[in-house]
Amino acid sequence: MIEDDIYRASSQYRLWSYTEPSLQFLRATTNAVASERVRAALHRSRETHQSTASSAAGTPLPESNTDTKNKDVECLTPEEELVLVRYYCEKTLELGETYKPPIPTMVRATAIQYLRRFYLTNSPMTYHPKSIMACALFVATKTDNYYISLRQFADGIPGDTKTEDVIAPEFLLMQGLRFTFDVRHPFRGLEGGVMELQAIAEGQGQPAPHLPYETAEDLQQGLLSIAPPPVPSSSMSDRIARAHGTTRELLKSAAQMTDAYFLYTPSQIWFSAFLLADRPLAEFLLDVKLGGPVTATIPAPETDENGLVNPLYEIRFKLHHVLTECSALLQSYTPLSSDPAQMKSLKRIAKKLYHCQNPEKVNLAATKRESTQPSSAVQSDTGIVNSESETERLAKKRKLEQGQAVRQDDDVFGPELVTQRTK
Amino acid sequence: MALSPFGSRSPSMTVHSPNTAIRLRATAAQNSITGPAAAAVAKPVQNGDRELTEQLNIDIRERYVKDKKVGEGTYAVVYVGHLRHDPSSLVAIKKIKVNAEYKDGLAMDAVREVKYLQELKHPNVIALHDVFSSKDQNLSLVLEFLPGGDLEMLIKDSDIHYGVADIKAWMGMLARGVWWCHENFVLHRDIKPNNLLIASDGEVKLADFGLARSFADPLFNMTHQVITRWYRPPELLYGARQYSGAVDVWSMGMVFAELLLRVPFVAGNTDLDQTSKICEAFGTPTEENWPGVSKLPYYIPTDKAHLVPLQGRDFFMRQFPTAGPVGADLLMSMCALDPRKRSTAVQCLRHNWWTIEPRPTKNEDLPRKSGGTKKMGDDLTRRVGELDEGMFNSAARQLDFGMK
Repeated sequence: MIEDDIYRASSQYRLWSYTEPSLQFLRATTNAVASERVRAALHRSRETHQSTASSAAGTPLPESNTDTKNKDVECLTPEEELVLVRYYCEKTLELGETYKPPIPTMVRATAIQYLRRFYLTNSPMTYHPKSIMACALFVATKTDNYYISLRQFADGIPGDTKTEDVIAPEFLLMQGLRFTFDVRHPFRGLEGGVMELQAIAEGQGQPAPHLPYETAEDLQQGLLSIAPPPVPSSSMSDRIARAHGTTRELLKSAAQMTDAYFLYTPSQIWFSAFLLADRPLAEFLLDVKLGGPVTATIPAPETDENGLVNPLYEIRFKLHHVLTECSALLQSYTPLSSDPAQMKSLKRIAKKLYHCQNPEKVNLAATKRESTQPSSAVQSDTGIVNSESETERLAKKRKLEQGQAVRQDDDVFGPELVTQRTK
Repeated sequence: MALSPFGSRSPSMTVHSPNTAIRLRATAAQNSITGPAAAAVAKPVQNGDRELTEQLNIDIRERYVKDKKVGEGTYAVVYVGHLRHDPSSLVAIKKIKVNAEYKDGLAMDAVREVKYLQELKHPNVIALHDVFSSKDQNLSLVLEFLPGGDLEMLIKDSDIHYGVADIKAWMGMLARGVWWCHENFVLHRDIKPNNLLIASDGEVKLADFGLARSFADPLFNMTHQVITRWYRPPELLYGARQYSGAVDVWSMGMVFAELLLRVPFVAGNTDLDQTSKICEAFGTPTEENWPGVSKLPYYIPTDKAHLVPLQGRDFFMRQFPTAGPVGADLLMSMCALDPRKRSTAVQCLRHNWWTIEPRPTKNEDLPRKSGGTKKMGDDLTRRVGELDEGMFNSAARQLDFGMK
């Protein structure tokens, strides 16, 4: 039994690990199915609307309406959906920061992965990420041992958010997560690696079991003779601390906002980030663990006296490739909010979404009330005639609310969830 | 350090558990490269009114048939059921009741149970085959059917005779289950005889993960309000907020003692009474035998006149003669007052008691009892941390789920 076997038993591996093509295929399928359903739903809602309108007015429909009816709705592409989800993942990180004390990074990271997992089989056109994100963060506080009461949680969200709105999509979210709540993060592995390097720097290092001839002094000497760091540092412990900090930042941002968790294991992720932070230091640790280094692009047939290839060398070589790919993925990330071009495209996508949002799935809180209390499904307290379907009522209400939101604030997302901190 | 250089990029979906197996069969059909979620999507949607995840949920739900109710508690209702296509494949379906007073969504004990059982697949941990939700948004857990009752039932039934070889078999299975939890960084936090269920083949399974949690990072606090009182270790009674797998090992020691004596070994009526009974039995914790103990929030210093010296091996041998000297040594290592000196689960498994005579009884020869289905129903519906003893009514205790 090795650690890999334990990881392979985890739900993260069983249900949430993909290859790049399978991930792409899954997103394309989800998008195609959702687009079809959105078109059908919008069509239905228009027809109902028109029939009520025409019967009320008793006159034929104006020309323009017929036009809209026939015009096909332009839906989001899988790429656009991904940008939108990523934006709300960044927002989740910020939302967690607004609490006092801030919600721990690990909990926020779990919430982000919940969002990413949820949107593998659900489309933002069906469920707007804005309504799912707060719920994802709240569920993460429950599953990651940082439980705060729903009331307290809702109060912590800037603006006027009701507890009911936070909790409404909980079941939907859990269903989308296929009732697996455990997320394996790279943070703890990084701590372990850093502790190990610190021990080596202090002359307390332990040689790997297959390299018994190495002494703590050898390790210490080895560490002190590696290539200089990208940024000069005063001492080895300073260098390790610096690399530690940079890596942590990468794990908090790039690792969360890209597909890293779907494609790589937690240890591969932290090692890739560590390579970006301080390559000689990270490679030294790999040398200590597996022997090495890998220099050529083709594996050198390093053989022992029996003519057998050193299996560790093969592993090291394979690992080198995986880490290079993962590093490239992490490096490709730039935050949306700091990139005007990306923000512009995001605004365009958001406007597009406004027109292709599934009207039947908008008011989750009301839908939840409806499904848990079937008797009160037809409510007349809103003053709306009961003959009108609940769905249509919700669609109207939504349109009204959204219209107001747009008027209030030119931001298509409505007021900012997190106000810009002035610092 | 979790270095994982193997099996890097493309975890092609190999079938690991009945859980996955069923899902794959039902949803995947052809596409084995893309993983079950992708395959589920690739399957044509049958009902145009449903979202994909809803459809997947319905597919899972319709795979099972509920037969009869076998237990009902405040927290859950348990049914015996079977796979629709195979009436001989029995399962237990635990339907979590919605608690009207708890407004924060799915209850914490259900969250914990689902979270950890999804991750822990081991012969000595109850298997979670599936999870699905019903139309009224109630959660149902499809669990392994364990008709053999539980260890409490066997301990209490004076018609059942068992010996040290049987205890060795049961304790071995318990220790392996606990080891697996700890190996996965999960603390069970409610080990006691009636959470140790027995399968039809005699295998003991650790159940009820409603109080479980993962190991906390260093310096992070946890609640000390866990583990049913008689099985609770001294560090938790003293209010420790940072603790380890040693808490479960203490509970394991208490189960071991109870199996030997056939009555709970230290059965306090209140938390305070529990602490003093532990001191009487094992010795008074002091700075000498447990450095740092006096800093724990609820530590009460004992005056010199009432100090009970730390009990040695001879005490355990005298108290538990059936265990034999080696068995008594193992028990003693599980009952060290200082959690740092207590054996870990893996150390327990390496003890030489397991390999000396008598050998543990084979599963098929273990004593068993009928009426286990009803017992399973009761066990699975009990609220976490509760004792269901009629004679100790005061024992039922409100747990602090706040965790903060």
